[in-house]
Amino acid sequence: MDSRTISRAKLGDINAFTRIVEAYYPRCLRFARAMLHDVDEAEDMVQETFVRLYRALPRYEERQRFESWLFQILGNCCRTANMASQRRTARSVSDDELLARMPAAESASALVDREWDDSVRRALEELPEHNREIFLLHYVEGFSYEEIETMTGVGQSALKMRVKRASDALRALLAPGER
Amino acid sequence: MSEIERDHVLRRAVQSLRQLPAADPDAIRRVVETAAAQRVMPAADDPAADAPPVARSGGRRWRLAGFAALVAAAAIVGFFVRGSVPPRRSTTSVPVASSAPSGGAPMRVAANADQDVVPIPQQFVFRSASARRVSVVGDFNGWSAARTPMTREVGGDLWSVTIPIAPGRHMYRFMVDDSTFTLDPDARVARARDPDLGVEVSVVIVGRP
Repeated sequence: MDSRTISRAKLGDINAFTRIVEAYYPRCLRFARAMLHDVDEAEDMVQETFVRLYRALPRYEERQRFESWLFQILGNCCRTANMASQRRTARSVSDDELLARMPAAESASALVDREWDDSVRRALEELPEHNREIFLLHYVEGFSYEEIETMTGVGQSALKMRVKRASDALRALLAPGER
Repeated sequence: MSEIERDHVLRRAVQSLRQLPAADPDAIRRVVETAAAQRVMPAADDPAADAPPVARSGGRRWRLAGFAALVAAAAIVGFFVRGSVPPRRSTTSVPVASSAPSGGAPMRVAANADQDVVPIPQQFVFRSASARRVSVVGDFNGWSAARTPMTREVGGDLWSVTIPIAPGRHMYRFMVDDSTFTLDPDARVARARDPDLGVEVSVVIVGRP
């Protein structure tokens, strides 16, 4: 995101803020879905993230990478949501709901791909939250360990250990069923 | 070569996870509308509210300001020498009108303040020899860097401002040269987590004797 758009959004320019949302909404939703399991809650948390972001924009420091700052807020929102969901009955998406969201007809290869995607999602859900988050930030969102350290306050050696544990667990869960 | 590049299973898993969901225009519109409705906008008396947004964006001037801010931050040292400068926090309970000017730009009371609450004068001080502009930014002024500029003492390095704030707990930081957002360096000042950013902010309790 260019600094001009961010500066305009800091001053309350709603069009500039809209461009920021349009640019980052899909990535934020991808991360939130992987963190929260529940599609509806993921959308709620992405919305909450952008509400907080817009409110906090006057405090944004230009020297900080904008994406890191955004995902720092998103990570906080997802952790809070996970804590809240642990206190209530899990409201996970049922198989029927997932089937209803699938296209009516798929080719054999598309079906295989979808099965693999579902396997990955289920395997990801098996990971402890703190390992899952760092794995996603590093390998899926592309943040360096140095950036994640700034975002989370966790030291780089601990971050690498979490990613390794997440990788080992995913490999163990996925390798038997891989086609 | 990273672990992902070496490992076929992990590589496929990451490829799957990297698929972006489709952008839903309705969802984006809802997000923008909700955020716009909840943001604390600058006051009508805020000079920045009328300024063209582009005036403060990008360009060489902005980068130079950032560099100057880094120099300024490096020069910031502990401040508040008791007896030689005004006390950091007023303990007076003399009420003042919320619209009364108090050494800086006109102030509004914190947005969450009760209408019946009487604001109390609160002084903020910050020491920097190299800063060109310093302002206090907090929940009491909508986190606006433009609304509460601090004044530098003649021939000195002490910046200060006294403003009326509703009694209660308030979060703040200092903005130096429009680019460095710094905590209050006074070690005695309490700190807390900003719920929006998840980062530390300084805390002042206004009205506590």
